[in-house]
Amino acid sequence: MILDGKTALVTGGRGGIGRAIVARFRREGAKVYAADLTQEGSLAVHDEDGSTFIKLDVTQEADAITAMELIAEEVGTLDILVNAAGIEIEKSIEETTLEEWNLSFAVNATGTFLTSKYALPLMRKAASNGTSASIINFGSYDGFIADPGLAAYCATKGAVHALTRAMACDHGPEGIRVNAICPGYVDTPMLQSFFTGDGSGGGGKTIDQLQQAVRDVHPMRTYGTPEDIANLVNWLASDEARYASGQLWILDGGLSAQVQQMKL
Amino acid sequence: MARLTGKRAVVTGGRQGIGRGILDAFMAEGARVTTCGRGSRPDDLPEACSWQTADVSDPDQVAALASRVGEIDILVNNAGVQVEKTVADSTDDDWELVIGVNCRGVFNTCRAFLSQMSNGASIINIGSISGRVADPSMALYNASKAFVHGLTRSIAVDHGPSVRCNAICPGWIETGMLEAGFDLSDDPVAARKDALERHATRRFGKPADIAAMAVWLASDEAGFATGQFFTIDGGMTAASPINTGLF
Repeated sequence: MILDGKTALVTGGRGGIGRAIVARFRREGAKVYAADLTQEGSLAVHDEDGSTFIKLDVTQEADAITAMELIAEEVGTLDILVNAAGIEIEKSIEETTLEEWNLSFAVNATGTFLTSKYALPLMRKAASNGTSASIINFGSYDGFIADPGLAAYCATKGAVHALTRAMACDHGPEGIRVNAICPGYVDTPMLQSFFTGDGSGGGGKTIDQLQQAVRDVHPMRTYGTPEDIANLVNWLASDEARYASGQLWILDGGLSAQVQQMKL
Repeated sequence: MARLTGKRAVVTGGRQGIGRGILDAFMAEGARVTTCGRGSRPDDLPEACSWQTADVSDPDQVAALASRVGEIDILVNNAGVQVEKTVADSTDDDWELVIGVNCRGVFNTCRAFLSQMSNGASIINIGSISGRVADPSMALYNASKAFVHGLTRSIAVDHGPSVRCNAICPGWIETGMLEAGFDLSDDPVAARKDALERHATRRFGKPADIAAMAVWLASDEAGFATGQFFTIDGGMTAASPINTGLF
């Protein structure tokens, strides 16, 4: 149990990837706060996972302050922050409304900023105990290369990547490590929405055929599970990763290691 | 306006393709160009272009080439070969060929010419998008281009400020090789269409597209550019290999 005695906050903790991180952290012995808009998050149902639910809208400064006050009162320190809350607007910039653009940045970029900003005092305290504290942001392979029709999403993830490096520089001296995980295709409600969304299914394929075609483009011939992502988050959160900071960790089954796969 | 007036350039592998495009552009910009290759002078090489027979993979031949050519201002390492195989299928001969030309060849020419390059000279290596992301069944080629990228940074660091060194990473450039690839497909028309859809420019590159960047990197306008890779691929590697609209 490599997170024994540690306290963690996971935003989007009741969503596709967040839920798996919460479950893994619990198994590794951490006390976990799962923050999300609702108890169920983006999943239809929520099974009791031993985490403490915090109602948190990451775009709201007051919510971030309240969440940290609660953790300060109950524990007093925070060792691990995972900024997993995120949304995806499936449009080009021409189709994207200003409202959708602003919402994308509010959740994906500003949310990471706000939660981290108010978590820092608690994380500094944790780090002063001699082990490093760890912030894990959610970038995306889309922050490096673009999927068509995901313009605002790609831009927010690029912002998270740069913010990750900036935070690592600023807070490394305080014993706080900051990294970003950049997932590729992971089986989540967000991915299923992408498959069923407008313009994603070309050539009259069924969803199953479309999913298989996507798997086939990957060198590993599959896309990831939330648990695959949680495996790396868990390591980055642990003291084994004490020298890892300021990095963007791509976890995509080799997808972005290859060039375009022409049908020759 | 001729941007390379009075400059002396060596472009390896100028017989055809990208190398030929670069030497044409250099000459149009006023440079004096020498190119080289393994055989005899090509009949269609412009008269003003000097030809030297040399195999870049052979250090003795390259040393002799450098002593014949003398001082230069621009070196373009363009000569390259590719073998379409995985690691498991690659033979020792494949290794000698690909690594010999693409890696040792670049090393040979850089080492031979560095001591006789003018102050402010520019080395331009032809890397590849394949040195950054992998083309399937091109293992030695991909690795050889990553070597070129690493050597580019090292030369920039070690030999600045007197010499600048950059790499150009071309994507799919229209050469005989590209057309031959489509002809091998079961459905050449569909294959071509699919490949075009994966380029934001909706066209493949031309040697002149690469030459345009080479001219800039060779010119004094690029005086602060060194140690970098310049990808010219019509936007192909900016996009994810998953494009569900094409499935």
